[in-house]
Amino acid sequence: MKFNTWYNKNHKKILVVPAIFLTLALIFLAAFYFQTGDIINKDVSLTGGSVFTISTDIPPSEMTNHLSKDFTDFTVNSISDNSGNQIQLIIAISESQAGDLKTSLENFLGHELNSENSSIETTSASLSKDFYRQLIISIILAFLWMSAIVFIIFTKGIKPKIWIIALNLLFGFFMGKFFYSLNPIISFIIFILFLAILIKIYIKKSVPAFAVMLCAFTDLILTLAVVDLIGMKLSTAGIVAFLMLIGYSVDTDILLTSRILNKKDNVNTAMFSAFKTGITMTLTSIIAIATALIIVFRLESVLNQIFIILIIGLCFDIFNTWVTNASIIKWYVEKK
Amino acid sequence: MVCGEKMRITFRMWLVIIMVLLSFISIFSIPPLFLQKGVEVSSVNTDSKIFSEGLRKDMIIKQINGEEINSLSDYNNAINYIKNLADNKTEKIVITTENIEIIGLYDKSILNDISIREISSTKLNLGLDLQGGARALIRADIPITDEQLDDLIAVSEERLNVYGLSDVKFFKVITSSQERLMGIEIAGSSPSDLENLIAQQGKFEAKIGNDTVFVGGEKDITHVSRTSSEGAMIYDCRDSESQSICYFRFPISLSEKAAERFAEITENLSLNGTHLSKTIDFYIDDKLTNSLSISSGLKGKIETRISIEGSGSGASRQEAIDDAKLEMKKLQTILITGSLPYQLEIVKIDKISPTLGKSFINQILIAGIFAFVSVSIVVFIRYRKIKNFLAMVSISLSEIIITLGVASLIGWNFDLPSIAGIIAAIGTGVDDQLIILDESERNKYESIAKRIKNALFVIVTAFATTFVAMIPLTGLLNFMGIGAASAGLLKGFAITTLIGITIGIVITRPAFADIAKQLQKD
Repeated sequence: MKFNTWYNKNHKKILVVPAIFLTLALIFLAAFYFQTGDIINKDVSLTGGSVFTISTDIPPSEMTNHLSKDFTDFTVNSISDNSGNQIQLIIAISESQAGDLKTSLENFLGHELNSENSSIETTSASLSKDFYRQLIISIILAFLWMSAIVFIIFTKGIKPKIWIIALNLLFGFFMGKFFYSLNPIISFIIFILFLAILIKIYIKKSVPAFAVMLCAFTDLILTLAVVDLIGMKLSTAGIVAFLMLIGYSVDTDILLTSRILNKKDNVNTAMFSAFKTGITMTLTSIIAIATALIIVFRLESVLNQIFIILIIGLCFDIFNTWVTNASIIKWYVEKK
Repeated sequence: MVCGEKMRITFRMWLVIIMVLLSFISIFSIPPLFLQKGVEVSSVNTDSKIFSEGLRKDMIIKQINGEEINSLSDYNNAINYIKNLADNKTEKIVITTENIEIIGLYDKSILNDISIREISSTKLNLGLDLQGGARALIRADIPITDEQLDDLIAVSEERLNVYGLSDVKFFKVITSSQERLMGIEIAGSSPSDLENLIAQQGKFEAKIGNDTVFVGGEKDITHVSRTSSEGAMIYDCRDSESQSICYFRFPISLSEKAAERFAEITENLSLNGTHLSKTIDFYIDDKLTNSLSISSGLKGKIETRISIEGSGSGASRQEAIDDAKLEMKKLQTILITGSLPYQLEIVKIDKISPTLGKSFINQILIAGIFAFVSVSIVVFIRYRKIKNFLAMVSISLSEIIITLGVASLIGWNFDLPSIAGIIAAIGTGVDDQLIILDESERNKYESIAKRIKNALFVIVTAFATTFVAMIPLTGLLNFMGIGAASAGLLKGFAITTLIGITIGIVITRPAFADIAKQLQKD
């Protein structure tokens, strides 16, 4: 078993690869933040504005030409049916310009827009901002609470478990009630303090829980970086996709962790058997999602974004589960 | 067990089978909806003649002029002759519904007064983004309390009712900055002037004859008492053999000016027994909602505090009390219309066309079927055992059916996020089954029971993690200030995922573990 000996010797060194990826992604996201003011590109569901969906066979280019006379900040996408004929156009526009768009469209189309031939979705900037905040809180909590569950299940002793539950509930209250209402600097300091305490307990008491957390975090960051790179504008649904991603990512990590900690087999054997199951799990997910994506793609719905993000994320997850997480756990088990 | 021998059906498998059957009943109803004949009334203009004759929303039209109606085209053919009538001509129509028969002379306007839809073949409710409709979130320009939000909702409900919009749902939303918003959902076609309708409180007027006595929002009514300590109460109940009647009263305070106007107008009215000859009529947006008789003792008097009285009835004492309470609340709501001390602002409004949503549903179904087939192929390639493959496919299908069954049982609205939730749950389900199968096939030195236990351990842990991840979006943690605003829109995703994975862990996974055990013995 050539691979076995190689892996036994090099599993710690391999960890450099994910570390480099993670660092690059973090640097990229930091640069992105300083350039745009946020770590993602947001669509109108998160920035505020209107989305018009209208039944028309006017080509998107013609619509763009018409609208660019009066408007600056808008996008035009087309929806086609199964045979490839365009059936609808989707026009998204920022809040400041949304007011005049309806009249402009009606003049251009030559008929009134009513509930039979069009859908109009409008969100104010203030509310969008609130959605965004709530979603961020949800993601952070999902992430930390999942780690807490892994910790509670894989750690012995009652006392640290109670500590972790109490800390996480407290953290929940803090995020919900105070995170956005306190002074941002104080908020941030408390936030980091909580994180530091949690991470410290995880590393000290349960390396596997920390590994799962790190792995899910890396999935999230790498996917986020790719999403930014390809210029995708995230909607509320897109952010939910990240939540689904953490869920799928944790499943394979738990499988791996429980097989290795079961101690009946040697680490490598346990790992390979887990790999066989885990990779089937992830691949079936990717294949199912990709198939569905191909079919609904032309409808330009929120599902597209969810599916694309999941596919990107799951690909990273294969890497992070079987390289990052596996190596950390092997390191931990053999040290013990 | 010899290969080919019948599989023993365990208690857990029976549970799945029974749940699937119950789910079919919950989705298709008994007798099955798709066998039902007729067309459904989706709305009736409340000002129309046909409405006053008793035709209501959700009734099933079986026949028109004796002709059987089984589809929209049957309906259109049957009623077509009305279309060609001259403007002021009428014609006899006989409409037979499940419960009543309406016979009358109608003109062309009846075509616009009734809208019709095919009877839906399942009890599954589709969300706004799939079936069309409008959803809006409304904010007051000053911070409001929970009680004030209740008032706003009551006032808006009353007002939309006046406009004949009865299929309206209201909900409360709290934002992360602790702001209270009112949410409104209207299914189906939405009126074109919806924005104006919901962004204003409406106009309240009380008139005697043609003279306006007081107007909402103009400080005419300074206070409407609504608690028992302020004198709002049910003060008497009377039981007769067939029914009970309960009487309520509540005081309102008028401004000096309004009281003078009231005295001036009532001064000229004649007496009619214990009451005055004219009633006082309440209007919301110029539409009459209630008429109350005026006690003769009030004639020509300047009273700043008057008592509003009314009654409710029912078959039992309790029903009468409930009806009286409802009636009292309705009157109180009408009286405060227009006087809520804030302006309203629409912060979100989505108007989804009913026609655009339809193309979507088919595509999603096709996508689901293809995804399912592709997963099946992967599973088959991986195991190359027809039994494993069949077990996985049938359990996953059961899981989808039971999830849909539960959803239609609790009246859940399926929107796009909910569909994403089902996908997430089914994906987790397939993953779990792979874990059970693989775990049951390895480490043969351990007993099969122990191996299945190992698998279930992983599955339960994974379930617990997904569970805590979804909780923030469900709105159940509002007391922590978490997820309230997003819950309104992404609740569907979180709830369906939770329903799906819970059904998995409680019902289908144990059954699959039993199947896996037996497959191993083969």
